[in-house]
Amino acid sequence: MKTGIGKIIVCLLLLPLSMRGNNNWSSGTATILPKGRWEMGLFQPLRIGQTERIEWSIHPILSFQIPNISVKVAHPRFNGWEFATRHSMIYPTPLLRRLRLKGFGISTLTEMDVGGIISNDPTISQIPHMISIKNEALMTKKIGVKTLLTGKGGISFAIKNGMLDSRTTIDLPIVFPRLGVYYNGYAVNLGADLFQQLTKKLQFLSDVDMILLPGADEDFTFEHKGLFIWNKHSDFRILVGYKLVYGEYPFGTQWLLLPLFDLEWGRSK
Amino acid sequence: MFIIRDAIKNYPIILLKYIRNFKIVMWIFTFPVLCLFSFMFLLSCDPLVTTFEDVEDAVMYKAASITEPDAIPPEDIDEIVVMTWNIRFGAARIPWYIDSCGDRVLLTKKEVMTGLEGLAEKIKQVNPDILLLQEVDAESKRTVYVDEVQWLLDHTDMNYGAFASTHQIQFIPSDGMGRIDQGNAILSRWKISKAERIQLPLRGDQSALTQYFWTRRNILKVKIDIPTSLPLDFYGVNIHAAAFSTDDTKRQQIDMFKEILHELDIDGAIYVAGGDLNEIPPTSDSTNFCDEDRCPEDADDFCRDGSDFYDETDWLNDFYDDSSIYPALPLSEYLENNSPHFTHSVVTTGHDWNRKLDYLFTNLEWITGTTVTHQDAFDLSDHAPVSATLNLLIDHIP
Repeated sequence: MKTGIGKIIVCLLLLPLSMRGNNNWSSGTATILPKGRWEMGLFQPLRIGQTERIEWSIHPILSFQIPNISVKVAHPRFNGWEFATRHSMIYPTPLLRRLRLKGFGISTLTEMDVGGIISNDPTISQIPHMISIKNEALMTKKIGVKTLLTGKGGISFAIKNGMLDSRTTIDLPIVFPRLGVYYNGYAVNLGADLFQQLTKKLQFLSDVDMILLPGADEDFTFEHKGLFIWNKHSDFRILVGYKLVYGEYPFGTQWLLLPLFDLEWGRSK
Repeated sequence: MFIIRDAIKNYPIILLKYIRNFKIVMWIFTFPVLCLFSFMFLLSCDPLVTTFEDVEDAVMYKAASITEPDAIPPEDIDEIVVMTWNIRFGAARIPWYIDSCGDRVLLTKKEVMTGLEGLAEKIKQVNPDILLLQEVDAESKRTVYVDEVQWLLDHTDMNYGAFASTHQIQFIPSDGMGRIDQGNAILSRWKISKAERIQLPLRGDQSALTQYFWTRRNILKVKIDIPTSLPLDFYGVNIHAAAFSTDDTKRQQIDMFKEILHELDIDGAIYVAGGDLNEIPPTSDSTNFCDEDRCPEDADDFCRDGSDFYDETDWLNDFYDDSSIYPALPLSEYLENNSPHFTHSVVTTGHDWNRKLDYLFTNLEWITGTTVTHQDAFDLSDHAPVSATLNLLIDHIP
């Protein structure tokens, strides 16, 4: 019994120490990666701490098809909240053009071509050059010793050099709302993350995100994520969980539950 | 060291090769994105492709406002006009990429509305009491997600409907087709009290991947409450059989259709049945449509799947030989002159109907001379509607 209490006390004393490194693995928070540290996941972007105030991120593989870059800048704390802004730029045109094809396969009435995500219908004009710019504010506060709460909100704008045919939408959960900004011109996102330290190595992340496309026929998407995170050590972790998506699409509304899995690596200078 | 020096020396050549293979490299980076799409949906709780039980309930519809049938006393309802029509999802004669040598995939809203308005006008002109429809879109990207069953109910004098999907997929990754929900529908002036979707055999001549994404043909069987003075077990049965199968899938589907009609007859029910059987009548003058269906880019001797009916000429024999089944168009009348009864032609090849694929049957009796093949509807679909009037005089009812 005494040993048990002792372990709990030791854990409680060590918790702040484990949270001390909470600058690591801080992708959804206002916290900036320490200078020289980089982190990357299978599905997460590569993030690099340039200084104690600036963090860059990029999806290296996707950037061949969707050039993208994001910078997170730390600002002075106020009322106990960490405060940062994140500014991103995405150029999706190359990928969308690449996905606009007939598909590869045997074009007969017996076998179907596979691969065309966006239609190559001759009455649909070429996908124009488009850039979206997203500006987001993030605020994080430690609640007790085990919990981090982050609130975020942002607005995105898209500029394009031509008409984007509404038939080029990809009417799939997750994808449709994220491309919505190019059709609607602007989008608003709001969200909150709750990060809990369950044990020394196990954490739970729960978040809600909303994407709003004011003025569009399909203007609302809600996403919720629950992730168990097992930190093998400070440089590697495994994430397993789920994502629940509700959204409005051109065909109506839809709920979708998806499994989530990711591996993340990090390294400090 | 030598290898590194050599590599540095040859770097411009390697770079040139790399640029030359840029497309391949780009594909390498695109492929993971496509995989991610597929992976996401394979693992999600909602199936990418809807598969069906052997028999399950069909989807019921009701018009936004009910058009009261003419004030005929129930005992005086002695005729019922029945029509079958493959409406080609309202695409009229637009050269669509799968069935007509075309390159169109996704219609515009204007095109869909023009197509549907044409269909509604023809339906109102014929004014059927029961309408069997094939290739109706309920929620498809290619037809801007217009629910065509509801639209036709709301824009004609039909009041009730039932729909059975033949193709319900969240996302078809082929030429941007995207989401599709296409199927058979039965519209009726009178209330439909029961509707069943009966699964037909899937095509056996396709790869597993294509078969998974391909059409799941069905028979839609509905019970219609016709307000006659005698209680009637009255059914409408609608089929759309395989179009391009190169094995005996279509024969199995036709046999199953026949079996269902027999069961209804044995049970003492009255039925009107029909649809697009994708089969020509026995002893047709022409059985090979390779020339008519060939696309401009095809070789001169190329024959598209589903264009040669030579080995299938006896597949509909039972519908003409069986004494309990009455075709709306007797075979003798068809044989006198085939062409006025043709109901189909591929879109891009000329402006003539060239084969009969659409039929109406009953186990009661059609009124002689009422069967019409509406070849004037050429611009509205690649199939002509067929209508006939059923004689419902009580003394005919078994």
